[in-house]
Amino acid sequence: MRNNTKGQKMHIETIAPGLERLIESNPPFDRVVHGIQFGEGPVWDRRAGRLYFVDILGNTIWKWTPGVGREAVLHPSGYADGMTLDRQGRLVVAGCSLRTVWRFEKDGSLKTLVSHYQGKKINTPNDIVVRSDGSIYWTDSRGGLIIPGMVPVDCQPYLDYQGVFRLSADGTQVSLLIDDCESPNGLAFSPDESVLYVNDTRRAHIRAFDVRADGSLGTGRLFHRLTGKEEGVADGMKVDTEGNVYCTGPGGIHVTDPDGNLLGRLKIAEHCTNFAWGDEDWRSMYITTHESVYRTRVKIPGVATW
Amino acid sequence: MVTKDDQAMAWRFERVAGPYQGPTGGVAWDGEAMLFSVPNEGRIMRFNATTGAIGEYRRYMNRVNGLGFGADGDFYGCQEGSRRIVQFHPDGSTTTTATWLDGKIHNYPSDLVVDKAGRVWFSDPCNATPAIGIYRPPLDHASVLRLERDQGAWRLVLVTRDTNAPRAVLLSADETILYVSEGDSRGERNCALRSYPVNADGSVGPYEELHAFGIDHRGAHRGIEGMCLDSGHNIVACAGSRQSGPGPLVYVFSPGGVVLETRPLPFDMPMRCAFGDADLCSLYVTSGDGGVYRAKTERKGLLKRQ
Repeated sequence: MRNNTKGQKMHIETIAPGLERLIESNPPFDRVVHGIQFGEGPVWDRRAGRLYFVDILGNTIWKWTPGVGREAVLHPSGYADGMTLDRQGRLVVAGCSLRTVWRFEKDGSLKTLVSHYQGKKINTPNDIVVRSDGSIYWTDSRGGLIIPGMVPVDCQPYLDYQGVFRLSADGTQVSLLIDDCESPNGLAFSPDESVLYVNDTRRAHIRAFDVRADGSLGTGRLFHRLTGKEEGVADGMKVDTEGNVYCTGPGGIHVTDPDGNLLGRLKIAEHCTNFAWGDEDWRSMYITTHESVYRTRVKIPGVATW
Repeated sequence: MVTKDDQAMAWRFERVAGPYQGPTGGVAWDGEAMLFSVPNEGRIMRFNATTGAIGEYRRYMNRVNGLGFGADGDFYGCQEGSRRIVQFHPDGSTTTTATWLDGKIHNYPSDLVVDKAGRVWFSDPCNATPAIGIYRPPLDHASVLRLERDQGAWRLVLVTRDTNAPRAVLLSADETILYVSEGDSRGERNCALRSYPVNADGSVGPYEELHAFGIDHRGAHRGIEGMCLDSGHNIVACAGSRQSGPGPLVYVFSPGGVVLETRPLPFDMPMRCAFGDADLCSLYVTSGDGGVYRAKTERKGLLKRQ
């Protein structure tokens, strides 16, 4: 294990051959942010060379710039959760307790993109991803309505399901894509966008859905079931450029090959919530935990954010 | 000897709703119907006393237990699963209140009572079922807390400092006494009904133990889980179980704690009770078997709502 400045460690647990091709046995592991309550929503902004992330319970959106440190972007943030960037480089936010999906405009204003579906207030958008056609996909769980400490504007669920929605690229049409989740959380496209992976925290599994040309989804199939008794749940999830799937779970971050076979785990002592690929070569992982943000390096680049 | 009790009418409890999954919880009369919670189903139901129809008042409530109206019709619930008191609004929305006490999220509220000033007094015991989301340890005390408005925003105040497992809470008709059912029966301790004098500033003085429940070779006798006032300002309380002691009973205590009468219940594990029906002479009791029971009585409830 390579020491970092603060003594935090990551242990690479190999379960099947192949992991060593993705990550070296003793990668750097540096804490770049600490002292937050519930880190989440990391996304690397390649244009500015900085990381955005949230502190959900701290009710703040932060940015972290190498060599500068962290600065608050928005407080209160409506307990914002997952974030990503769209094709224009605008920050798109799973608004969680605000019960909206919203976007930072270039002029700094905040624009609500979605708040209702078929006349009913949606649940609490959890994580979010933008497809190459500009459409926005997000998981809509009830977590932000019921987790202690969250303060939604209205904690009453109105939808009879928790699932995945899509907003068309022109922003006019909201579609319900999946309605049979128990607690939908992380989601990510395969490198060619032919598959959408969606995980479910309570069911502790990842499903794979074929993506049709129009952006709708085929029937889901079980892709991987998370194992382990350590602290940690299915939460943030990303895919690398070779199609390997990285997903938080018990003990840290679980790595599976494109067929869903577990290759190993990045075991981290703190409760991991999510991570983002980052840096110019997209070979860094910025990992959020409840208290911190860590940075490590991998061998295969992640799928770049727009 | 023939006592007054022997001549009194029998209280014939009949099940008017249920059984539901898990125990039924809080009860509150809205002037026309009896609202009751089903914590494990996440629902609040409404029993129309005139027609007998049962409708759903709220769904997807994360384990709401105790219910209570304020004098102005404000309606609140103890959301155990989210560790907070919530307020239900006529438009179907539900809002949260203050949840942080001295930098920590309070425990798992169980029962509440609203005073004439609109302050919400509630018991805040621990709970065997953890809340959803990040595990946050309970407070180092389990107390009666009070929510009050401060410039429109909710604020939490610590009321009792000597309870271990407060269950039912009630205010005397003139609100000079806070009745608390202490449910801690570990070791040599017995469950008890306490009365705390309420000072003008809202703090409470040292308590008197009005009634102590017993203990026998089968274990400590189950204490009071729910209580309400009758028009004579007596305390009508449901307590006991078939496990030990005299069994499930309704007790009627004078305001000073004299047992005026007891009534056996034909079901185990009585939970909460409230008077209802047009004449306010029916006592409704919720139960561990998931039913809601009703009996005509010669007593009349004290209606707090204006």
